[in-house]
Amino acid sequence: MANAQEIYARMTRAIEEYDSDAAAAAAREAVAAGLNLLEAVEKGFADPIRRLGEAFDRMEIFLPQLMLGSEAMKAGMAVLEEAIQSAGGTLVNKGVVVIGTVEGDIHDIGKTVVAALLQANGYQVHDLGVEVPAGRFIEAAQSQEADIIAMSALLSTTMLYQRDVIEMLGNKGLRERFFTLVGGAPVSQKWAEEIGADGYARGAYEAVALLDARKEARGR
Amino acid sequence: MNFKEIARRGETGPLMEAGEFLMKRVAAGALRLQKSHEIRWDGKTLLNLDDAMADRLWQAGRELLLGTGIFSMNSRRVIELSAEEVDEALRFVPQHLAMGAGKEAVTVRHRGIEDPRKPFVFSGPFNADTSEEMFVHLNEAFAQERLIDSLLFPGYLKTLDGQMIRPTSALSSRAAMLYGQWSREAVRRAGRPDMPITGHAVMALNEIACTNEAWGLRATDPRAMVLISELQVDDVTMTRLAYYQAYGCPIYLAFTPLVGGYGGDPAGTAIVAVASFIAAAALGGEVVHIGPQHLKFKQQTNAHSLFLASLSNQAVARNSRIIATTSHTTSGRPGNGEEGAQYPREFSALALCAVSGGSNVSGPRPAEPLGFNNVSPLMARLFAEVAHAAAGLSRGTAAGIVEKLYERYKDRIDLEHSPRGLPFEELYDLKTLRPSAEHREVYERVKEELAALGVPL
Repeated sequence: MANAQEIYARMTRAIEEYDSDAAAAAAREAVAAGLNLLEAVEKGFADPIRRLGEAFDRMEIFLPQLMLGSEAMKAGMAVLEEAIQSAGGTLVNKGVVVIGTVEGDIHDIGKTVVAALLQANGYQVHDLGVEVPAGRFIEAAQSQEADIIAMSALLSTTMLYQRDVIEMLGNKGLRERFFTLVGGAPVSQKWAEEIGADGYARGAYEAVALLDARKEARGR
Repeated sequence: MNFKEIARRGETGPLMEAGEFLMKRVAAGALRLQKSHEIRWDGKTLLNLDDAMADRLWQAGRELLLGTGIFSMNSRRVIELSAEEVDEALRFVPQHLAMGAGKEAVTVRHRGIEDPRKPFVFSGPFNADTSEEMFVHLNEAFAQERLIDSLLFPGYLKTLDGQMIRPTSALSSRAAMLYGQWSREAVRRAGRPDMPITGHAVMALNEIACTNEAWGLRATDPRAMVLISELQVDDVTMTRLAYYQAYGCPIYLAFTPLVGGYGGDPAGTAIVAVASFIAAAALGGEVVHIGPQHLKFKQQTNAHSLFLASLSNQAVARNSRIIATTSHTTSGRPGNGEEGAQYPREFSALALCAVSGGSNVSGPRPAEPLGFNNVSPLMARLFAEVAHAAAGLSRGTAAGIVEKLYERYKDRIDLEHSPRGLPFEELYDLKTLRPSAEHREVYERVKEELAALGVPL
């Protein structure tokens, strides 16, 4: 049977080669070998996915590679998570995010980049797609036990639906339960403050930095 | 193939999810074609001088479209096109197109590489957020610039009567009608009542309400629609196309290839761009506008986007009769003093790349306007002068100037730290609609600077 270092190397290679099947297979090997699975997550998956995020930031790799790498990690993590839960443990993630483009807006790519980068940085992400009505953001956030609702709007005329989600959260008495994050080309810090959003990010990197800073502040 | 057949395929073509279309058809296809056709960026060239690569790019873009088709986002069907259909669409695409009427009738043409004929200039607020009270003044100030051939996107009404405008609402229909009236009023005040007005009211389908021969936008005004990145259309765009084609308007069809997105690096994205040029022509686009978006810089004068614009325009100019125009968005914003000089340096660099590569020009506008009315008609004048001066310049000469200009602004293209600029009402005297002395100083100084660099102004 392969030793821990060899299995970590296979897990790493699976992410670097964007191979979901290989990532799941390497994760199963880690379980079968009785490795410390929390350590396997960190050494086998977290390190390469972090490097992938950094390479994306430097534009050495591009959106398809980032998405495939994130998908590979997701496939491997599903195996590890199941094994950890069977053993009575829990896998710590940085936060659960529901993300989508608001109602009336079909722009997908900006939101997809944020979703992929958050996933690559250790967040559990549920991508609701485009044209997401306010009620669906809230239903999904509740059903997924999310702590963050991220809303993208690419048009000046659709950004007011971000306001509606926050207003609806207030009407339902759920405002304090979720951290609300807004972004998109016409969106600004001023708009975020005006509608009472908890955070504004001008791009994907800023979204990760903002949520990481929030996580760190709450962890203190 | 006519629009009826395109619409039919949007209902009957192969069914798939958008993610599958983008990853398996677009991303995988662009990657494969980039290798097989050796489309590369060397990491430093800003203005392409390699004709053979431009021709290989044309072939790669055509092959990409044949492999992808166009994705109809609402029906999730792919509008697939055969090689014969693509060739037929390219054969019948107009080489020149008339717009406007009377004394303001003008013609936009397909241009060739290093074409000595002046490019057509589409300019105006270019969808920068525009306040209700400034809408007519601002557009009048643009329309009085005689080098502007067509007013471009007269503004973006975000609010009406102090109320934010929700798409498809009754308020948005009213806003669209006012948009039509105010745009026409602005060109009339400037003494150019029949000047073509390109662009729509960005009110989703309700924009159609701005159409009225007596007081609004007319059949002689080009209507603009935008494909969704990459190679996608939605029902709203298809419905607009159906309506405006039937109404007889010139069709201005834009696309926004994303550098760093599904096409990958600038060379891969150029393949997607050429495929999009052809797709736009097949859909009925008569003027095709390329407006590259950049995942990181979010503007169009970074090194990647300069190269992309020059290479893909050259591929189209050399291999088709498509009438191309290039969008110009910048990090810098119009303003005064040295801070105000970055904006014209940036749009001049891109205009030199675009015009020498066979394109017409659209713009300029800051990529991230700060607040309302963050645009300048005087800078549009300089933009038009540079675009005209660039006609006939050799690409080698243009490339040298672009490199020097790029060196002068490249360190401040991060939108957060780029010059913040001033709104129109602080750059102009609103009573006379003339630029302030401070703003004129920027115009004079940068014009001299450009002339010293070799732009024949």
